[in-house]
Amino acid sequence: MSDLKPLIETTGLVKKFGSFTALNGVSLKVYPGEVHALLGDNGAGKSTLIKILSGVFPPTEGQIHVEGQPVSFASPRNATDAGIGTVYQDLALNPLTSVTRNFFLGRELTRFNSPFGLLKMDEMHQIAIQEMAKIGINIADPEQAVGTMSGGQRQTLAIARAIYFGAKVLILDEPTSALGQKQQMEVLKTIRQVKDLGNIAIILITHNEIHARLIADRFTFLSLGEVIGEGTAKDLQGDDIKRLMAGGAEIGDLAKELAAT
Amino acid sequence: MSAAPRQESDRHDAKGPLTALFSRPEIGPIGVMLLLFGMLGYFSIPAGEFSLNPFAGEGFNALGIRNNLRVISQLGIIALGAGLLIIAGEFDLSIGSMVGFAGACMAMILRWGFSVVIPYLSFEGGVHIEFFTLIHLSDVSPLGAIAITMCFTLFFGWLQGYIVVRSGLPSFIVTLGGLFFLRGLTEVSLRSFNHRPDQVKGATTVTEIPDIKNIIHLPGHGEIEREAAKALPEADLIAIVNALPADNVASITDRLQYTYQRIADAKTDIMAAKGVKPLERALENAINSGNEVMVATIQDKIATFKVTPVVPKTVTDIDVARAYIDSVVTARPVANFFGGDILEPIFSWLYYPIDWNTNNFGNQFAPGLYSCVMIWVILSLLCYIMLSRTQAGNWIYSTGGNLNAAKANGVPTNKVKVSLFMFSAFCATIFATCQVFEVNTADAAKGNLKELEAIAAAVIGGIVMTGGFGTVLGIIIGAFIFGIAKEAFFYIPGIDGSFYRVFLGLVIIASALLNENIRKRIMGAV
Repeated sequence: MSDLKPLIETTGLVKKFGSFTALNGVSLKVYPGEVHALLGDNGAGKSTLIKILSGVFPPTEGQIHVEGQPVSFASPRNATDAGIGTVYQDLALNPLTSVTRNFFLGRELTRFNSPFGLLKMDEMHQIAIQEMAKIGINIADPEQAVGTMSGGQRQTLAIARAIYFGAKVLILDEPTSALGQKQQMEVLKTIRQVKDLGNIAIILITHNEIHARLIADRFTFLSLGEVIGEGTAKDLQGDDIKRLMAGGAEIGDLAKELAAT
Repeated sequence: MSAAPRQESDRHDAKGPLTALFSRPEIGPIGVMLLLFGMLGYFSIPAGEFSLNPFAGEGFNALGIRNNLRVISQLGIIALGAGLLIIAGEFDLSIGSMVGFAGACMAMILRWGFSVVIPYLSFEGGVHIEFFTLIHLSDVSPLGAIAITMCFTLFFGWLQGYIVVRSGLPSFIVTLGGLFFLRGLTEVSLRSFNHRPDQVKGATTVTEIPDIKNIIHLPGHGEIEREAAKALPEADLIAIVNALPADNVASITDRLQYTYQRIADAKTDIMAAKGVKPLERALENAINSGNEVMVATIQDKIATFKVTPVVPKTVTDIDVARAYIDSVVTARPVANFFGGDILEPIFSWLYYPIDWNTNNFGNQFAPGLYSCVMIWVILSLLCYIMLSRTQAGNWIYSTGGNLNAAKANGVPTNKVKVSLFMFSAFCATIFATCQVFEVNTADAAKGNLKELEAIAAAVIGGIVMTGGFGTVLGIIIGAFIFGIAKEAFFYIPGIDGSFYRVFLGLVIIASALLNENIRKRIMGAV
């Protein structure tokens, strides 16, 4: 698919917080129908990059292009409108209300388009069920409270919601952390389904190189705010991934270091 | 086994109608409410009588229903404001003080009018403060008084909400401040405005407001209070009757004749009962002493005992005139909307042909229900639609259920909260409006502790204190339980009247435990 144009491209992103340089010239290309794994240790700059992409704060230098057009975001809302959907770790769900109410939270379908117009509940139920089925989760009862759903189902709900409301680039922030083994597989399956839709670019932030290897087509490794390695799944061998994950150090080196202390 | 592989979603079945009914959060409170209704009904059946029908008791006669529904609906109105705010995750402790403030403000405007006065420093003849009157409206209509009061209370509601969302302080503290501030402001204003020229400080009550809801337009007499109209000279009253169409006079006369007949019958019954009772006591004594001759004589007397039936009063033109004055439609519909009665035709119908709404003296018992019942019903219906069926409702739930999620999805959570603080102030003002126009007085102590009662009613009705969970139906049931408990315990023979508080205390704690359990079940923690 490398003949396609990248859906989102960053060139030389720099982010400075006062004297601290969080990102030092990061360039990234993400293609539609691809899972792009963003790997790196804690403090490597993953979160900063994600926050720039989702409009939480602007970069100090550098440019973002979405579908070839230069964009700049003043707020998360701008990023959403430009087609960048971010699914955060806490998923932004209200566990006490129903699937449908969460699916349409903040963008409810109402009569007369007014906050006090009646909700089109039937239509919303239908869309929620349909959209979640598209990425592989069948919900028996759209009135079911989100709190009663499994972690994997919640992730699916958040992803389906982002896609339905126009996300072309889907940023998944540690979607498999804090989940059980089975639910992690469920989430990976969901990501695969989204990938198979073909028109959505997925940026997957993760700590877990096994998950990344299972699902990702392309890898970018960050360390100390810089890209220290990138490539497609074919290019990279298992050991490369491990080494790059640890910020370029060999496991063997680490063992020596440990032994020395 | 050819079944499809088991999926996570199969673990959660759609609920059947019965399971759905019993897992609703209101089911517990409904049980308590029915229990209290039963108690009220059975315990209020007069001693010595027996009935399986709970509606035979005094608690459910026409006057009992009128008075109980008044207490319930007044509490229900402010519980709506308190409840919706708790669902959005905030508290309002200033409701009671807001009621006092709104009532006093409205009463003062109705009594003395409304002025905007600017104080300034004057240097002529020594430095002192003078007052420049910018606007003075001496005669403010009920609607005007309500509107001006609403401006003040909505402003205070907005201010409290604004401070809460801007500062991030707990609403408990901010509205606790509001509680003292508003109560103090009410007392200070009443004392400083409500004094006669020869007094330094006045009382904290406003009285002598005209009975505005009963002002009528009487041909030839202009606008006049009902009571004053009934006290007109007899010649004037007769003139009024003579001006009425004949069929109107005939129907009023019919009704009066019916009433007088009922009163006469009731008097006859009372006299008969009074006459027979001593004879029955004598009979008992005679039986005990074994005097058979005496027994026979008394039995004979009882059998032939007769009271000459009381002759009903004849209907005079003056009676017709007074009855007509009672039936004239009010000239102040706004005051009547808040402080008058509703369902009067139904209560008349229950008296005239049905003969149920009748007291022991043969008069009509209750004229109708208090207007605040209707206002409560309207407000509840609007709140129900808003909370359960509109986008605003979803915003309220998500603001209380997960504030960060709501913000991340573009819900204007600050606007939601501030609006609900204002709605809470609005409900308090409606409560005060009903009171002022019902009783035509105001008191700085009005509404004391009402904020806690409103919160208690909401909790009993299944509202979770941490927000995000609860229904309007629950708030309504909570108001019923809180309003009816006092009455239900009042009729239990030989029990201290304050036991209802003990009962309510237990119900509040039990409800809170139940609510927390339901919330945890939904969150998946249990």
